Amino acid sequence: MTDIIVPRGQWEEDQEAALATWIYDDGATVQAGNIVCEIMVEKTSFELTAPADGILDIEVAEDQVVTPGQIIGTIV
Amino acid sequence: MSSSDTQKTAPPAERRLTIAKAMSEAIGQEMERDPSVILLGEDIGKMGGVFGTTTGLFDQFGTDRVKDTPISETAFIGAAVGMAASGMRPIVELMFVDFFGVCMDAIYNLAAKQSYFSGGKVACPMVLMTSVGGGYGDAGQHSQCLYATFGHLPGMKVVMPSNAHDAKGLMLSAVRDDNPVIFMFHKALQGMGWLGTIAGSISDTPEGDYDVPIGKANIVREGSNVTIVGLGATVHHALEAAVKLADAGIEAEIIDLRTIAPLDRKTVIQSVSKTGRLLVVDDDYLSFGVGAEVIASVCESDIGPLKCPPQRIAHPDIPIPFSPVLEHSVLPNAEKIRNGILSMIGDQK
Amino acid sequence: MNSNENRRLWMYANMVKSRYFEDLIKPAYFEGKSPVFNMAKGPIPGEMHLSDGQEPCAVGLCAHLRNSDTVTATHRPHHIAIAKGVDLNAMAAEIFGKKDGLAGGRGGHMHLFDPAVNFSCSGIIAQGLGPAVGAAMATKLAGDDAVAVAFLGEGAANQGAFHEALNLASVWKAPVIFVIEDNRYGISVSKSDCTAVESNAVRAAAYDMPGHHVAGNDPDAIFEIAGEAVHRARSGEGPSLIEIETSRLEGHFMGDPEGYRPDGEVERLKELDPIPKYRARLLADGFEEADLERAEQDARDIVDQAFSFARENQYPEPEEAYDHVFV
Repeated sequence: MTDIIVPRGQWEEDQEAALATWIYDDGATVQAGNIVCEIMVEKTSFELTAPADGILDIEVAEDQVVTPGQIIGTIV
Repeated sequence: MSSSDTQKTAPPAERRLTIAKAMSEAIGQEMERDPSVILLGEDIGKMGGVFGTTTGLFDQFGTDRVKDTPISETAFIGAAVGMAASGMRPIVELMFVDFFGVCMDAIYNLAAKQSYFSGGKVACPMVLMTSVGGGYGDAGQHSQCLYATFGHLPGMKVVMPSNAHDAKGLMLSAVRDDNPVIFMFHKALQGMGWLGTIAGSISDTPEGDYDVPIGKANIVREGSNVTIVGLGATVHHALEAAVKLADAGIEAEIIDLRTIAPLDRKTVIQSVSKTGRLLVVDDDYLSFGVGAEVIASVCESDIGPLKCPPQRIAHPDIPIPFSPVLEHSVLPNAEKIRNGILSMIGDQK
Repeated sequence: MNSNENRRLWMYANMVKSRYFEDLIKPAYFEGKSPVFNMAKGPIPGEMHLSDGQEPCAVGLCAHLRNSDTVTATHRPHHIAIAKGVDLNAMAAEIFGKKDGLAGGRGGHMHLFDPAVNFSCSGIIAQGLGPAVGAAMATKLAGDDAVAVAFLGEGAANQGAFHEALNLASVWKAPVIFVIEDNRYGISVSKSDCTAVESNAVRAAAYDMPGHHVAGNDPDAIFEIAGEAVHRARSGEGPSLIEIETSRLEGHFMGDPEGYRPDGEVERLKELDPIPKYRARLLADGFEEADLERAEQDARDIVDQAFSFARENQYPEPEEAYDHVFV
């Protein structure tokens, strides 16, 4: 099981980040390197890639605020 | 763990992209493969395009092949026609299709007639990619579709993908086509974070080379009671309506046109000869539109009488209003499709 | 206060009014667009192009204009509409898509029309220039000395319509003034990357009309040059071109990540904000603090009222979408 973690240090601490889009559905099979979701910080987008092959388990839904270091899903 | 869990197989791995990513991937791969491909347009350089169509390409190919232009559509589209005549393969972005008013001569009189006026000796292998569609409050000059306007004029091919897989495949086909291709991408399907995206537009897209043929529609859902023809965003509205219709025992066959011109009349006629009912949905203005052309084509064919008169749902013949209460009331949606089909079918099946 | 002082105070008050209007638009625009910025959501969907920093261009010109003078503006129109005297309640209501908006919610922020003060704007680059030439010709042919002013950005000076309109205005000796608000950027592309000349003022020579270049984003300097151009037009001498160096303090549109701006540029521009600069100059020139404060308060009150009006106004009925396609 590998966590998908919101990266640290990519934006200012006081800026609010939110999960804009999940590219895959819960339960989808993903491969390491696939872009799995998009986080928006104010007006800029950051893409997160799957850290491993496996099944995506989504833990945080779209339109939710996320913070650096937060686990938003796992690859099982 | 129950036995059903151990027997559950994981869904196949997909490589899902947004349409924006699919487009920029296709363009980048083709630029690598073919040194004659050049990219022009406003804000397509460092910014990667206002709608993400050229992300990463400026860094990869530099200023000789990825050129930000002044706000001079007539000049740079005209220049693209000249480049094409000289053996290059330009891909040009017209930021919003609504801007065609300032540069249409270069498109419909030059690009579209270069082969004809030269007896086939001078080709125009140019792609004009342009954003279409509204539904997010950008009002009358930034929300238009204009499928019929471009489909109507001879000498150019016009395509519009409804999903990333088709977007990459159609872009590869478009760049490789020796004729001018208008590549329309719908803003509600593009995958930009700051613009709502219809989820179904994000789809499995092979990393390698493939193409989707221009001029071939795709049956995205099979059914026997009614044929729904859509393109771009309306394909997804139709798919949404189909779920509710299935609950009522009505199975809709949904055709994604993918290409506006040349129109795949054969696929539509074949489908309607099976279902006997036709509904065309497009978000362009109603009159003289895609719906009219599809319906006329079916009526002209020899499939015989239909079970009920063909219908079309489109944006009415009015400028696209700004206020959301007005705009959303005039745009096609799944509910209108569902209601339209229920009234077409009535008591019969 | 003499007429000159009144006029300078008027310019200051309208810059404050304009900036305060944009200051209220910002949070209203971002309502419903959080935590994810989705342009389609909230009470003001769609694009929003704010005029912060460009206020001197509007007041410097409009201080010379009457209701009967025509102004055409662009996708970034608020400061110009305000300086021209557009009905602020109806303008705010239009931006909120409400029933009593200038067009009953049909047009939105880029398509504001107020015939009472001969103001209109639209969203296609450089396309307001032709209509301004036409409006100028209408008054000339009627024997009137009203003028027309077309506002455009520096990026628009590379569009065909610009060159056609200037040539035509010159050939017809139309009483029109073309005013370029040079904020250095056409979305992400800087002026130097896409314009063959450093100052568009030199392009006026190609069309046999005076070309003026005004630096410093200074309302008084703009007022003076504008005065020459307006006087020339009213006297029947024909058109002029003015290019004003101004600054765009916000992104091209609200939501623009502005990755193309060099580091520190926006901070530097904000230090040169023309409104506090002008305030300081007025005080140094002997204006009373109390007069400035009163002007500021009055400006804010008018804007607050407009926003209340807009918020409380009802939405149009869906069937109203079909009205006014034709008269």
